Amino acid sequence: MNILIVEDHRELGSEIADYLVGAGYICKWVDTCEMALEELHSNDFDAMLLDVGLPDGSGFDVLKAVRKQKSKIAVIVITARGELNDKIDGLQLGADDYLTKPFALTELGARLYAIIRRIHGFSANELEIHGFTIQLQDYKVSYDSEIISLTKKEFDIFQYLALNKNRVITRLQLTEHIWGDILEVNSDSNFIDVHVRNLRKKLDKHAPLDWFETVRNVGYRINVEP
Amino acid sequence: MKIKHQLTIFSVINKLIIILVLWFLLPLLAEKVVYSHIDKSLLEKKQKFVQHLDKEEINDFLIRKDTTETYASFSTLHSEFLQLYQIGQGTGSPKSFYKNETRIIEEEESNYRILYFDFAYENCYYRLEIGNSLSEMEDLMYVIRIFIFIVLIASIVVTFFSEAVFIEYLLRPFHKIIHTKIKHINDPESFDFTAVETHSDEFKELDQGLHLMMGRIREVFNKEKQFIANVSHELLTPIALLKNRFENLIQNQSLDDQAVDKVVSSLKTLDVLKKIINNLLLVSKIENNQYHANETVNLTELLLELIEEFDDRIRNKNISIDFNMAESVAVKGNKALLHVMFFNIIGNAIKYNVANGTIILSDGYANDQYTITIADTGPGMTPEQIGQVFDRFTRMDLNQEGQGLGLAITKSIAQFHHIAIDTTSEVGKGSSFRLLFPTEAKT
Repeated sequence: MNILIVEDHRELGSEIADYLVGAGYICKWVDTCEMALEELHSNDFDAMLLDVGLPDGSGFDVLKAVRKQKSKIAVIVITARGELNDKIDGLQLGADDYLTKPFALTELGARLYAIIRRIHGFSANELEIHGFTIQLQDYKVSYDSEIISLTKKEFDIFQYLALNKNRVITRLQLTEHIWGDILEVNSDSNFIDVHVRNLRKKLDKHAPLDWFETVRNVGYRINVEP
Repeated sequence: MKIKHQLTIFSVINKLIIILVLWFLLPLLAEKVVYSHIDKSLLEKKQKFVQHLDKEEINDFLIRKDTTETYASFSTLHSEFLQLYQIGQGTGSPKSFYKNETRIIEEEESNYRILYFDFAYENCYYRLEIGNSLSEMEDLMYVIRIFIFIVLIASIVVTFFSEAVFIEYLLRPFHKIIHTKIKHINDPESFDFTAVETHSDEFKELDQGLHLMMGRIREVFNKEKQFIANVSHELLTPIALLKNRFENLIQNQSLDDQAVDKVVSSLKTLDVLKKIINNLLLVSKIENNQYHANETVNLTELLLELIEEFDDRIRNKNISIDFNMAESVAVKGNKALLHVMFFNIIGNAIKYNVANGTIILSDGYANDQYTITIADTGPGMTPEQIGQVFDRFTRMDLNQEGQGLGLAITKSIAQFHHIAIDTTSEVGKGSSFRLLFPTEAKT
């Protein structure tokens, strides 16, 4: 899976690339509109992370150029301006999703996974985790074709951890994923624990959960042998 | 009072004064003209008489004492007469003067303009009276007065209406400027820079002045918007970098627990920083009218969604929700912002509530205004605290987490939607926030 990262902030670009490489993607990172267009012409990419504020122009111009070519590339627009107008502009110009800086890398991973799956029509709508099947589109989890009834929040947590398997997901990341980018400062992330506890109780009835790890003081991790 | 009415009243008063002046002056003028005309003709007759003056003529005109005739000569319609009689004593030199007098000729009384002429002839003194009837002139005066009355009243009526229409026409660009360029402008971006059609230089000037002013405001406005965008970009990009770097760092298996704890706590700090910046940006964007309020939002549905969203916190504190929303009212507004507003109020009602407490959500009408009341059974506030509750960075309870921005944002959003918030509270019993929606917001 080839990803083009267009981000003028060198260090941020390399952190994103680090994460995506760790998640199994092949990344190319550029920092100007011009280089982005050059790369898009010479190589095939499945997805592009596009920062709006670039030194030689607006990322939206790159987006326009890409969409003119009727390319199927998945585009996630990244911007630091949480402005409504930017969001509308981006989506109208053909962006597939939109992330506001600062975002969690795991959030980026989950969105990227969903978009690539949708755009490139992958049949893999299911995730297999130690015998549990997560049906991503139907919001269902089953074990041995027996459906496990989860609340929406429980499903979201399970899916998020599964999509970011082998990574520690902090409570903060889970909070942000479930409740969105809520404005409340220091919102109590302990509620995550309640949901995770309930989730584990439900899953535990079917199979042992030694792979569902609680990382002390940090969060949770689903371990899957590579 | 409207200019239109003031101008009309002024013009009517003006015309009435002119009519009154003409009513008095015109007859006087006419009289003067007529008199000078009559005087001239009387003088001509006198001169004719003096030219042919001889004994015979005097005898001819002299009123004989033995007859009852008082007038030596008069025209058949009594419009003129001539009278000559002897007077005992003269002044010496001939003299003449004019006088208006009433005379009766053949039992017909009439006003006459009379020329008196005293002269001496052959040692006898005579007085000649030549009269000209004024009845014609009186008729004329009457006609003039009637004429003035009718013509001027008619002209008042006609000009009154034509002026009203014309003033209305003149002022139309003014109303247009007020309506399209001043009253309904919230955001300089939506200002219409097309010139208003008018033939009046004043309105052109006003229009151009407004354009200039709006141009300057727009410039400042855009600069501020740009500034906010830049600040957010400059601050949020480094935060994004740190956040992502720490997130990658946590995955490093070689870190010991202590280091992981520090990284996690740094992530929390960054999260607080991010949220403070986002909150401040939100307030400044709301105050700059950078949001649109044109969505239809059903408030009952919105509150139900929020209660669902808060479900775990509500259960955690074992709070009971008393949902008493009887009306299903939709308002015009910005859904995301209204969501934030109620999120903050209900969030506070939960946060500051006692365990096993209650939150009452109810609605109703107060003087035609739709109201929603959110009441909690928390510790309540003192009157001083109520006064500060909407200020930025105010926290009621220092043990509570948070930066005290929630209600400041709530206030900004409420102001943006023209919603009034009425806060009442009693220490030990709870607080209640009553939101009064503007009548025009209802859809």
